[in-house]
Amino acid sequence: MSNKNCILIIEDEATIRNFMSNSLTANGYKTITAKDGQQALVMISSYRPDVILLDLGLPDMDGMNIIKSVREWSLVPIIVVSARGMETDKVKALDLGADDYVTKPFGTSELLARIRSALRHWQMRKDSNIAEMGSFKSGDLEIDFDKRRVTVRGEVVHLTQNEYKIVAILSKYAGKVMTYDYIIKEIWGPYTKGDNQILRVNMANIRRKIEDNPSEPRYIITEVGVGYRMTEEDE
Amino acid sequence: MKNSSTAKKQLTLSPKDIFITGYIFFAAFYLCVVLSLVDEGSSYVSMVFLLAVFLISRLTEGYFYGIAASVAGVFGVNYFFTFPYMQFNFSMPGYPLTFVTMLIVSVATSTITSQLKKSEQVKAEAEKEKMRGNLLRSVSHDIRTPLTAIIGSSETLLDNPDTEESKKRELIAGINSDASWLLRMVENLLSITRLESGGASLELRTEIIEEVVGAAVVKFRKWHQNSPLRVEGSNELLMADMDAVLIEQVLLNFLDNAARHSKGATDIELKVEKKGDMAVFSVCDNGCGISKQDMPYLFSGTRPGKADSDRSLGIGLSVCRTIIKAHGGRVFAGNRPEGGACFMFMLPLTEVEYE
Repeated sequence: MSNKNCILIIEDEATIRNFMSNSLTANGYKTITAKDGQQALVMISSYRPDVILLDLGLPDMDGMNIIKSVREWSLVPIIVVSARGMETDKVKALDLGADDYVTKPFGTSELLARIRSALRHWQMRKDSNIAEMGSFKSGDLEIDFDKRRVTVRGEVVHLTQNEYKIVAILSKYAGKVMTYDYIIKEIWGPYTKGDNQILRVNMANIRRKIEDNPSEPRYIITEVGVGYRMTEEDE
Repeated sequence: MKNSSTAKKQLTLSPKDIFITGYIFFAAFYLCVVLSLVDEGSSYVSMVFLLAVFLISRLTEGYFYGIAASVAGVFGVNYFFTFPYMQFNFSMPGYPLTFVTMLIVSVATSTITSQLKKSEQVKAEAEKEKMRGNLLRSVSHDIRTPLTAIIGSSETLLDNPDTEESKKRELIAGINSDASWLLRMVENLLSITRLESGGASLELRTEIIEEVVGAAVVKFRKWHQNSPLRVEGSNELLMADMDAVLIEQVLLNFLDNAARHSKGATDIELKVEKKGDMAVFSVCDNGCGISKQDMPYLFSGTRPGKADSDRSLGIGLSVCRTIIKAHGGRVFAGNRPEGGACFMFMLPLTEVEYE
């Protein structure tokens, strides 16, 4: 493994920095760390990490500013680390261009899953082959993008136009959280009212069609207050 | 800071108090006019106005309105109801007495009124302080036990690097379980402080119930991978106005409770039903049920004389009650006739029209 992916951990708390760094190194990543915003910005431009893990609460600057300034020149995946109950912050960070988030406290497996999916989406974007992706599979759910066909255990599921579009977007970015606003803009256009009720009713209908038990979803997980996430094969 | 804010209150005129003052004053004036039609004398006039001044001082905030009313009353009586009518005459005998009496009545009443209000406030404040103290005491006690275990276990690991592998794992598993218990405690405390800092922090939105249930179940599965949980939602699409993060917390507390305390449970069922215009959420198990001693204290957060190993009864359920109450719903707990415990709460449903 000569070209290990390099992960920058921006976190002011030393114990958490150590824990993340240790568990990522143990899982085959190379890690570098920064304990404040200034140091982080320097390290991002000099080391060019493959993924950035960013704690929003930094001593010297607002984490949002780091997202903004990085996005001016780079599309490197940024995963925000934030606390429970800060849903509006998460949405704001995602709107500014962060790729995903994990909520403190998180387990190693969750963190690794986020990093894997962020890396994969970045790789796909670099190869610009998202459009060529022919199909998607997660558990018993399969989507054939060419035929616009969704099947569960081989049986065709009849989705409306909008329902199919929602499922298609989520599966295109499987493993990554998509905010309500993003999905609504993609499907109903940029001038839709700020109300996400219509999306959620559509989602309830989709779940009734693809999930065995809509109250215990396997494929599309709700991130309360933020949006939806399609689960990946390996999760 | 408190003093300056009350002083400010006395200086700024509140529309409500102005209205009360004006209304009572006008009523007194009108009464005197009516009385003067039937009675030639004028002895009742000062009595009526004295009563008006008393009422105004009692019903308004601070001294201002009472004093203003007594001054206006003295001049009004003099001008309208004493001879010579429609002009001032300050040379009447006993006049200063009327003035001073009204002034004293107004000041005395206002003082008593504001003292009364203040003592009520102090009482409520003391009650709140007591509750907070109780909570703090029980929390600090609850927190100390797992912390002691964590510190002890980690020190053992640090000091004895050649501990047996199986022993090591045991200690680490203990640290992990105590730490996650502490985490849940902190999440509960956060929810409570969010509610106590005023009802405004309840972020009510119309939510689809199965989404919130689903999110809670996904989280629960992360902690208890082998739990025998079954989830049964309603076929109908149910919506309710709620703070999703807090309701998720309630569901997690119920589920966690069932997973930890129902000894011997082989089945835990989370169910959502529609009953009338309410959504009923229930978590039932077939375990050991709720003991008689615990029953009265379930939602209060403390049980007198409980053992340390019992601590996890903790504040979780009292947090649930606080959250559900703030939503205008109700919580219940009981044992099932066929064995096992049931915890439920109800929330009012919201009707939403959609195309």
